[in-house]
Amino acid sequence: MSGPLADLRVVEVTDVLGQLAGKLLADLGADVIKVEPPTGSQARAVGPFVGDVPGPNRSLNFWYHNTNKRSVVLDLAASEAGRASFRGLLVTADVLIEDQEPGVLAAFGLAPDALAAANPRLISCSITPFGQTGPWAHRKSSDMVALALGGPMQMNGYDPEDAPGAPPIRGHGDQGYNTACQFAVHGILAALIERDRSGLGQYIDCSMHEALSCTTEVGMPYWLYKRQDVIRQTGRHAAAHRTEPWLFHAQDGRDLILFGVGRDNASWRKIKEWFQAEGYGMQFNEARFDSPQARQPGRGSPEAAEIMAEMAKFIAAHDSEYVYRFGQGIDQAWGVVRSPDETLNDPHWHDRGLFVGTTGEGVAEPALMPGAPYLFSATPWELRRPAPKLGQHTAEVLAELR
Amino acid sequence: MPELPLAGIRVCDLTWIIAGPTATRVLADFGAEVIRVEHGQAADAIRFGRPVVGDQPTLNNSGFFNYFNRNKKSITLNVRHPMGMDVLKRLIAESDVLVENFSSGIMASWELDWPQLHDLNPRLIYCSVSGFGHSGRDKSFTTWGPTAQALCGLTFTSGLPGKPPAGWGYSYMDHTAGYTAAVAILAALRHRNLSGEGQHIDISQVEAGIVLNGPAVLDYTVNGRSWRRPGMPPGNRAWEPAVAPHNTYPCAGDDRWIAVAVMNDAEWQALVLAMDEPPWAADERFATNAGRLANEDELDERISAWTSEFTDYEAMELLQAAGVRAGVCQKASDRFERDPQLAARDWWSTLPHAELGESDFDGVVPKLSRTPGTLRQASPLMGEHTHEVLRDVLGMSDEEIVEHETSGVLM
Repeated sequence: MSGPLADLRVVEVTDVLGQLAGKLLADLGADVIKVEPPTGSQARAVGPFVGDVPGPNRSLNFWYHNTNKRSVVLDLAASEAGRASFRGLLVTADVLIEDQEPGVLAAFGLAPDALAAANPRLISCSITPFGQTGPWAHRKSSDMVALALGGPMQMNGYDPEDAPGAPPIRGHGDQGYNTACQFAVHGILAALIERDRSGLGQYIDCSMHEALSCTTEVGMPYWLYKRQDVIRQTGRHAAAHRTEPWLFHAQDGRDLILFGVGRDNASWRKIKEWFQAEGYGMQFNEARFDSPQARQPGRGSPEAAEIMAEMAKFIAAHDSEYVYRFGQGIDQAWGVVRSPDETLNDPHWHDRGLFVGTTGEGVAEPALMPGAPYLFSATPWELRRPAPKLGQHTAEVLAELR
Repeated sequence: MPELPLAGIRVCDLTWIIAGPTATRVLADFGAEVIRVEHGQAADAIRFGRPVVGDQPTLNNSGFFNYFNRNKKSITLNVRHPMGMDVLKRLIAESDVLVENFSSGIMASWELDWPQLHDLNPRLIYCSVSGFGHSGRDKSFTTWGPTAQALCGLTFTSGLPGKPPAGWGYSYMDHTAGYTAAVAILAALRHRNLSGEGQHIDISQVEAGIVLNGPAVLDYTVNGRSWRRPGMPPGNRAWEPAVAPHNTYPCAGDDRWIAVAVMNDAEWQALVLAMDEPPWAADERFATNAGRLANEDELDERISAWTSEFTDYEAMELLQAAGVRAGVCQKASDRFERDPQLAARDWWSTLPHAELGESDFDGVVPKLSRTPGTLRQASPLMGEHTHEVLRDVLGMSDEEIVEHETSGVLM
């Protein structure tokens, strides 16, 4: 079996920003050819590296974001032969993905309209920090700078008592790049569906700034409808007004996220029994705790504050995994704050086959990494090959063009 | 005007809250006919979600709901009534896509598990978005966005060292699970268009988050290094590539910040020039990236002293003019009122809404040159399109519709 996009050929010229877009298509079956300069994609210089030894084939960042791709070295900047091969490749391609500064490919004589003239069915997608037009089109950015300008950072941070004067905080993992690439792939797939009717390709201008600007949930509606900016709070939703904490420190040093304790009477009864069996929350039998309204956090109810204080004591005396699992068992959508690698310890994800093994320079035995974000019943996500070494497929791909 | 890219695609949308509606917002923006199936007795909580216009939430005055549900239709249907379930099945049979983000097990309890759905409509793409997916030992567990963020590692990686996790100040994973679902649905739709084959796509919100930190997982499985260690998470300093300076710096005014990322020595020299070559910057400890990393505290203090002299936009203009990667930590108000880039690209527009008046919307990402996505209508009122859909999609006669109405099915 093969993925749903197995009939497609994609060519990409990407560094750190656009590489996930190609991966999403490659992992669903597309033949994705990564065209790299002789020095390699800039992502090859991003760590962590195998054994902390840098090298073009040792970047774990590159390994992760370039699964199922083939690597071809073509010197688009300096070699007319390289550019000719690139043009030849694009005549056979369905999609081009590039994340260079606006105008860079055009300066090589590889502008989207020139490419479209040679292949009218080609869908060309540029992924850039700010898009191809506008006063910021040529500005420099990074993942953090994008998360700042787009709005997500301003919503992440601390209550003043936890970290006085703390700045907005960037969530790690290059989430700005990730979000931009997800939107780019929406556009590419929508254009492919359209092309299957019209026979025509088109150009797609994907701005990371715009992708992030519509990814701030309640932040934007509060301005649009109330002319209010939300305020940052520790580990929980930014809001128009301060709300009760969600974060609790467990005995083993890990944090738990809990909310909506006892919203309905059935779950409240179960929580009460659980606590009281261990001598906590004995006052919960008092009638003032009977109303779901009184138990609602976020409305300034003294009972709600008292429940949360008792929760904090209970959790401080217990292991985080125990509280998490018991809570889920009585229908509470609670979670443990895990580091990314700690997800490997949860057998549920192994049941679903989430983690897949990869090999590469310096790693002979397969090392686990996250695999499919979706399970397709008929055309599954598939790891067909690990990320390519620099230029690993140059001869192979150029031979296919002849 | 050319047809929208997803013209002719009909989506039966059983989603609620944010994750599911985000997926169908993408499909609707690109032209799919998205029909929200709603139940008057168990309305989408976001229909009451703040901010609302007016004193109290009604079903139709939530700005929050409006933001996520533009371009969609709404029908009200009581699926607990046998005639209502029959209408739902007829709608599924006439749809290309079915999306829901219930807890796993709900669809099975309605006898609408994948085998039954496939029998109803072999060309159907059925996408389920649940917390833990439809398989695995914990499939009955449930999530909200913040739960998913905690379990997948995203909350942990956002914070200052030695402090509690700052996490994400909103349900980033509701957005992102929705974006992930839209990728999968579109890929499956194209495959279906070519092959005729429908399928089920099973998405777990937590998994959709775990895949967003792949390099951190590999650092553990290859190098044995966990993110749970002293000094981590690194706040706004760089993890990889390890470069300095890389942080947020205070600007003049209340809670005003600028993010500055210097990726190499040339960019450092550009920053020094932008700061008017202060004597401290000539210190040889700052001449190399390794030296800057080793003296990061002092470096950040010096830069903070410089940025504090300027407003956020002033600092950004100075730094960007010198070629330094710098951006203001923009609030929603900044993006709406000040941001010249969003304005220049016609990011904002308005659409009329019966209870919200002329309401503001952001644009469609990305921009397709020949068949761009469009904003056609604000979010639907509860049940606004019930009669239209029953008549035009299911071919019901007026008598049939009245019969359903009087039987209490359309509420």
